[in-house]
Amino acid sequence: MSIRMIRLAVAGFFVLVLLAVIWPGALLLRRAEPFVLGLPFSLFWPVFLIVLSWAVLLVLDAAENRARGRGDRSPEGEG
Amino acid sequence: MPSWVTITLIMAAYLALTLAVGLRAGRGRSASVAGYVAGDRQFGLLVMYFVTGATVFSAFAFLGGPGWAYSRGAAAFYILSYGVLGIVPWYFLGPRAARLGRRFGFVTQAQLLVGRFPSRFLSALVAVLSILAFIPYITLQMRGAGIVIEAVTEGRIPLWAGAAVAYGIVLIYVLVSGVAAVGWTNTLQGIFMLGIAWILGLYLPWVLHGGIGPMFRDILANRPELLELPGLTASGDPWNWGAYSSAILVSAVGLTMWPHLFMKAFTARDDRILRRTVVLFPTFQLFLLPVFLIGFAGVMVVDQLAQPDFILPHLVLSVDLPVIVVGLFCAGALSASMSTGDALLHATASVAVEDGIRPFRAMGEATQRSLIRILVVVAGAISYVFALDEDQSLVVLLLSSYGIIAQLAPPIVAAMYWRRATTAGAVAGLLAGSAVTLFLFLNPALRPWEIHEGIVGLLVHLPVLVGVSLLTPPQDAGHTRLFTHPELGEEPR
Repeated sequence: MSIRMIRLAVAGFFVLVLLAVIWPGALLLRRAEPFVLGLPFSLFWPVFLIVLSWAVLLVLDAAENRARGRGDRSPEGEG
Repeated sequence: MPSWVTITLIMAAYLALTLAVGLRAGRGRSASVAGYVAGDRQFGLLVMYFVTGATVFSAFAFLGGPGWAYSRGAAAFYILSYGVLGIVPWYFLGPRAARLGRRFGFVTQAQLLVGRFPSRFLSALVAVLSILAFIPYITLQMRGAGIVIEAVTEGRIPLWAGAAVAYGIVLIYVLVSGVAAVGWTNTLQGIFMLGIAWILGLYLPWVLHGGIGPMFRDILANRPELLELPGLTASGDPWNWGAYSSAILVSAVGLTMWPHLFMKAFTARDDRILRRTVVLFPTFQLFLLPVFLIGFAGVMVVDQLAQPDFILPHLVLSVDLPVIVVGLFCAGALSASMSTGDALLHATASVAVEDGIRPFRAMGEATQRSLIRILVVVAGAISYVFALDEDQSLVVLLLSSYGIIAQLAPPIVAAMYWRRATTAGAVAGLLAGSAVTLFLFLNPALRPWEIHEGIVGLLVHLPVLVGVSLLTPPQDAGHTRLFTHPELGEEPR
């Protein structure tokens, strides 16, 4: 996958995250139950998104480093 | 020896350690303004990581977070939701700003803006807006320090005196060492805060309720409204989705636009470090979880605290912890306040001098440095006056400043990514956006659906920026290219 595609996918992911934490997406996730790992769902959900975002950022960073190593630089690319 | 004396001694020892680290940091750095403001662009990953984390997480998170969880329940979860969204754009913005900084010698955000959009008025406007936003933020940190000290000394050292002592120390090391002190003390303070938050966040629910699950079951049975989004208002009524959602949006947009954070792009040794800071940022966000657990631990135990921001020190003191733990906690909370406060004071003064005064009046390096020092003291004094006066929640103080700071995002992004943007467009957009934000801040009843005034400001800001830019003649292509394609004509790093 080219670095542009990866960036696009990452941007899409974070748009989804945004939609999930604000109205109206958050309406689906506002309940206290079910409890997950002892946390109410309304708290577990944002915590889970942080962990997931971290994983996505690690993937993005690895891909960016590989792309830089190859000299594959698109206009948005930073050297 | 009564326990409050022991606690106070531990705190004093911690403050002395901070001061020592802060003063040592000033050695061996160049005596130029770039050295004082931007730390000679020599920060490595460890320092950058903790500087960013400790700067973002302040008394706001450490005391305000539990305060909101305790009094407003799920409303506090907005704080969990905006951080990662806010930092992600920095993965690209940060290195680009850093590269422009190296090429043109920028040390502040406004210099970058004015580099692209030459206008002294723009520079002064950014300086004024930044200072307007900084003052409540510093006030919040000072109140935080005062709250901790007042609580643990059982009122023997009142808020005004505690805040004065803690910030007296901050002033000393910022005045002597500049940004280098901020870097090294934040490293120390960041490590401290993280450790203390996790220990207390796991320990308090366990000792008070027998675990995290049982604690939330208990709250669900008795106060279910606290666990359902979007939580409650300060007076205990259900909060509004417009307010909750726009609090996330405005904070995400504003996060990296804070001048003290943005200027980190100009202190980092290389781009790799900036990117890695972004990638590691979620680990700092996770630290909010124990902070909220602490607040929830108080719900069924402490009745109606008049000032919810006191919940954390209140709990720590009421559960019979070993004195040493209480002392360390207080040091942790003080770190949280001071590690942000020092960066804020330093940035306020730097911005005032570099962007507000210097474009209008030439001055030598030595004069600039002394002027920055004087203004550090002035900014501290003004914030201190407000800190004594108000009964405001710590979270509310910060949320208000975000409205102004978010207005810096459109011109910054346009400066680095949009070739067709013009000086007139940037100035007009910034003026319109901030005017709307300030007007709605003063007349909150006029906000539609209680949407944060900063978001309404942005909705006016963007069309003005785009419209006026398109109506005015484009900038010279060679000039805009330097900003939108900074990698051209430069060796890759």
